[in-house]
Amino acid sequence: MAANNGGDKGTRNLVIVMVSFIVVVGVVFSLISNRSSTTAAIPASVSADDGYGIVLNPDTKPTIDVYVDYQCPACRAFEIINGGYLNEVIAQNKAKVVFHPMTFIGPESILAANAAACAADENEFMAMNLALFQDQSAEENSGKWQGDALLNIGKSIGINSAKFETCIKDGSYVNWTGNVATATAKADVNGTPTIFVNGKELDRSKENNEYGDPVKFRAALAAGGVK
Amino acid sequence: MGDKFKVAQPWLTLFARLILGGVLLAAGALKIGNLQKSAMAVRAYELLPVSLANFLGYTLPWVEIGVGLLLITGALVRISGLIGAVTMLAFIIAIGQAWARGLSIDCGCFGGGGAIDPEDTKYLSEIIRDIGLLILGIYLYLYPKGRFSLDK
Repeated sequence: MAANNGGDKGTRNLVIVMVSFIVVVGVVFSLISNRSSTTAAIPASVSADDGYGIVLNPDTKPTIDVYVDYQCPACRAFEIINGGYLNEVIAQNKAKVVFHPMTFIGPESILAANAAACAADENEFMAMNLALFQDQSAEENSGKWQGDALLNIGKSIGINSAKFETCIKDGSYVNWTGNVATATAKADVNGTPTIFVNGKELDRSKENNEYGDPVKFRAALAAGGVK
Repeated sequence: MGDKFKVAQPWLTLFARLILGGVLLAAGALKIGNLQKSAMAVRAYELLPVSLANFLGYTLPWVEIGVGLLLITGALVRISGLIGAVTMLAFIIAIGQAWARGLSIDCGCFGGGGAIDPEDTKYLSEIIRDIGLLILGIYLYLYPKGRFSLDK
């Protein structure tokens, strides 16, 4: 055994106190930072009652909830396969569609979600949604969406307003993405993409995958009352 | 259990402390950068009520870091070893039930986690690893006194 002296006991107690302090501060910080913020700026089309999602066709029934992360490859695949039909459903006012941009993949998901919200204020959410997936990097948080990249994506779909530029540059809705994340956690969404039609989650099983097959996706929406 | 064990035991305790402590410290540290994902990983086990799962997802990484640091420095080894063992047992049960129920999830042990493709699951290796760590935790509970330890 190492030499036994009085100083060691003091060191031991000091270590115990410091470790306890780290754990308590960490726990408190984590719990507070994952609570919904009441002061976060939210886009005009966002409804707190709909999990802070971006709402399109607010007065239509049924309701389709769409949970995606702009850096998630499976979400990009979903957009390619079913995005066209979903756009049609929205454009023809066949359903209320609520988009919940998740940010668990990291910082560039937050920037992308912020940009999507900025575009929503310009009534260009769906175009931005598609453009973001089209511009998705093969690597997570690669740096591709830093700087002016997202502003330029907005310009490429025709958003040139000064308000949009400020919104992107200031990250006006970054805090809002935290509220979306908190609401998503409460809604028990554990993967992306996740779609609910009237609260019923689409089937992800291998045998009957309603995300990867356009015919099954249409059928699932129809079963939920999308005519 | 002869003289040989008496000689080896303090070194085995040091070994167990560093392995279990190191794994816990790494597991916690890799999660705190993305607590959204940590909470998602716990929810994906579909074992606990959502609010409790989220609470665990936000807090468990800090407990792992704390227990890891105590084991590495050798303070409160007996209790830390016990907490480590209980945690591992809980993980084994959680992964086992996910496997038995046919869920397709990543254990989320070192960050990551959540729903994954069925062919990407690796439940068996995760459980074997956690059984190894469970044994180390039990050993530390039984033989907490070891080399280079703050505990006396």
